[in-house]
Amino acid sequence: MSQVQLDSELPNGRIKAGKNLHLSKLKQDCKRFIITQKIGFVSLLIILVVVAIAIVAPIIAPYDPISQDRAAFLAAPNAQHVMGTDDLGRDVFSRLVYGSQISLLVGIVTVVISIILGTLIGMISGYFGGIVDMIIQRIMDAIMSIPALILALFIAALLGPAIQNVIIALVIIEVPRFARIVRGEMLRIRESNYVEASRSVGAGSFRIIMKHGLPNMMAPIIVMASLAFGQTIIAEASLSFLGIGTPPPNPSWGLMLSDASMYMESAPWLVLFPGLALSILVLAFNLFGDALRDFLDPKMS
Amino acid sequence: MIEYIVRRLIFGIFVLFIMTTFIFIVMRAVPGDVVTLQLANSGATAEQMDALKAEMGLDKSVLGQLVDWVSKAIQGDLGNSLWSGQQVSQIILERLPVTIQLALMSIVLAIIIGIPIGVISAVKQNSFIDHFLKIISIGGLSIPNFWLGLIMLTVLSLALNWIPPLGYQSFAENPFVNLQQMFLPAICLAITLSASIVRMTRSAVLEVLHSEFIRTVRAKGAKEGIVIFKHALRNSLVSVITLIGLQIGYLLGGTVVLESIFALPGLGSLIFESVLVRDYPIVQSTVLVFGGMFLLVNLIVDVMYGWVDPRIRAK
Repeated sequence: MSQVQLDSELPNGRIKAGKNLHLSKLKQDCKRFIITQKIGFVSLLIILVVVAIAIVAPIIAPYDPISQDRAAFLAAPNAQHVMGTDDLGRDVFSRLVYGSQISLLVGIVTVVISIILGTLIGMISGYFGGIVDMIIQRIMDAIMSIPALILALFIAALLGPAIQNVIIALVIIEVPRFARIVRGEMLRIRESNYVEASRSVGAGSFRIIMKHGLPNMMAPIIVMASLAFGQTIIAEASLSFLGIGTPPPNPSWGLMLSDASMYMESAPWLVLFPGLALSILVLAFNLFGDALRDFLDPKMS
Repeated sequence: MIEYIVRRLIFGIFVLFIMTTFIFIVMRAVPGDVVTLQLANSGATAEQMDALKAEMGLDKSVLGQLVDWVSKAIQGDLGNSLWSGQQVSQIILERLPVTIQLALMSIVLAIIIGIPIGVISAVKQNSFIDHFLKIISIGGLSIPNFWLGLIMLTVLSLALNWIPPLGYQSFAENPFVNLQQMFLPAICLAITLSASIVRMTRSAVLEVLHSEFIRTVRAKGAKEGIVIFKHALRNSLVSVITLIGLQIGYLLGGTVVLESIFALPGLGSLIFESVLVRDYPIVQSTVLVFGGMFLLVNLIVDVMYGWVDPRIRAK
């Protein structure tokens, strides 16, 4: 945190030098992260591998994830189907590979929109204070007092099963969480000396928010985003599991588990693989977020 | 203290009111209503549908409906189910004990699992055991609890040929059957919850162990066991209690999926069933009950602070 603050205080005249400084500092930071946060680095690698799998899914997947093979339904893992097939004869491995696209897509879109909206709301609330802050915060309190999954279920079930509806539901859950953090940071920054200084030389509200507010809250937002990623992926899977998330025949991991629950005894591999994939990806995001927090804010560990 | 509690209660009612308004508007902004769903295939004419809507009060403006509902709710009348006609308060009272029992069992199990592991992590700080337990506990946070439920059911039925008894029975009816039915879902919820308790206990115990007064206690020649259990653990309780307050939302949300897997007739499965058939009064009231539980638990947590840590009470 303190590092970032120092950078933003660089006077304008040194911006060019500052850019080079940024780049070399970024390199240094990465090196330091790899050395001090080994678990976090491994987690990052796992995330990158999953991203790569999602991108090149058509090359990796041996079968079409949706095409059914009635001759080979509920086949145990074998040479043709390394993870077996489901009740409709679909290849589990291919579905898992394509399923990563859904988890990551829902995660990325939800987190990005939530960061943008949450930051906007949080900054407005924190910067203006007073009655604006009061109204926004009470609405956020009310939304956050509804257990997250219940709210998601409520919205997703009303809107009907579709990926964009899942994203809408999850955004509504995540926005107040980001808004709260940003507001807290904003309140802190508003009182700081350098904002006082820029106000005294005539900088407007917008300029102060953009130039001092944003750079200073990057660290907490990044940490929060990594953790929100994990929560969002689990929530998507839970909604799909309940039948109100990603609609069939899409290979969502949650949906695969929901199908699998009917064949627990006759085809346990159907339960095993999607859950493992889900757990590993979420674990990677959580460990990475945890490592980032330790790295960016040593006081917390 | 009393003044504080009263202020928090008023604030809570205010939040519940905003929550109701929010739910109300969202629910009516989305196309589809109960009458259309009920009569879709019955060949009813538009006039008949409108008549039924008027009877249910669905023909009024959203604001009018909101005023209607809130003014009745204040008098304790939550309305009737639009499908069964049964009183909503009655339905909720039938279902509430299941969810409360599930939540309480999960909290107790999570504390039993979480605190000892957290203490071990702290005492063995930065050792192999500490790192191992850290990965395990974040692993517990990462495993979707419904998958855990499925795995447990699969393993138990394949290995031991055992499945929980079908058909829910309350604790009062048959404690033995009830506990068999509740234990698995409770442990699934508890594992995730205990993961965060481990992290919290660890850092809280560490903080206390590094403080001045513990040095004094040690200097007086106290045994390590006494240092940890009498002083460090007691002082960490505040953070663990806070955490339970923070996590209660997760816990209540988790009940929805687990109640559905384990076929438990709780509030979670109630809201799931009702929102699908647009039974507005049930959905509204259930969200309100969930929100109310969340706020109440957090109030209790804040009051308990003062009880555990007299320094906070003084403020």
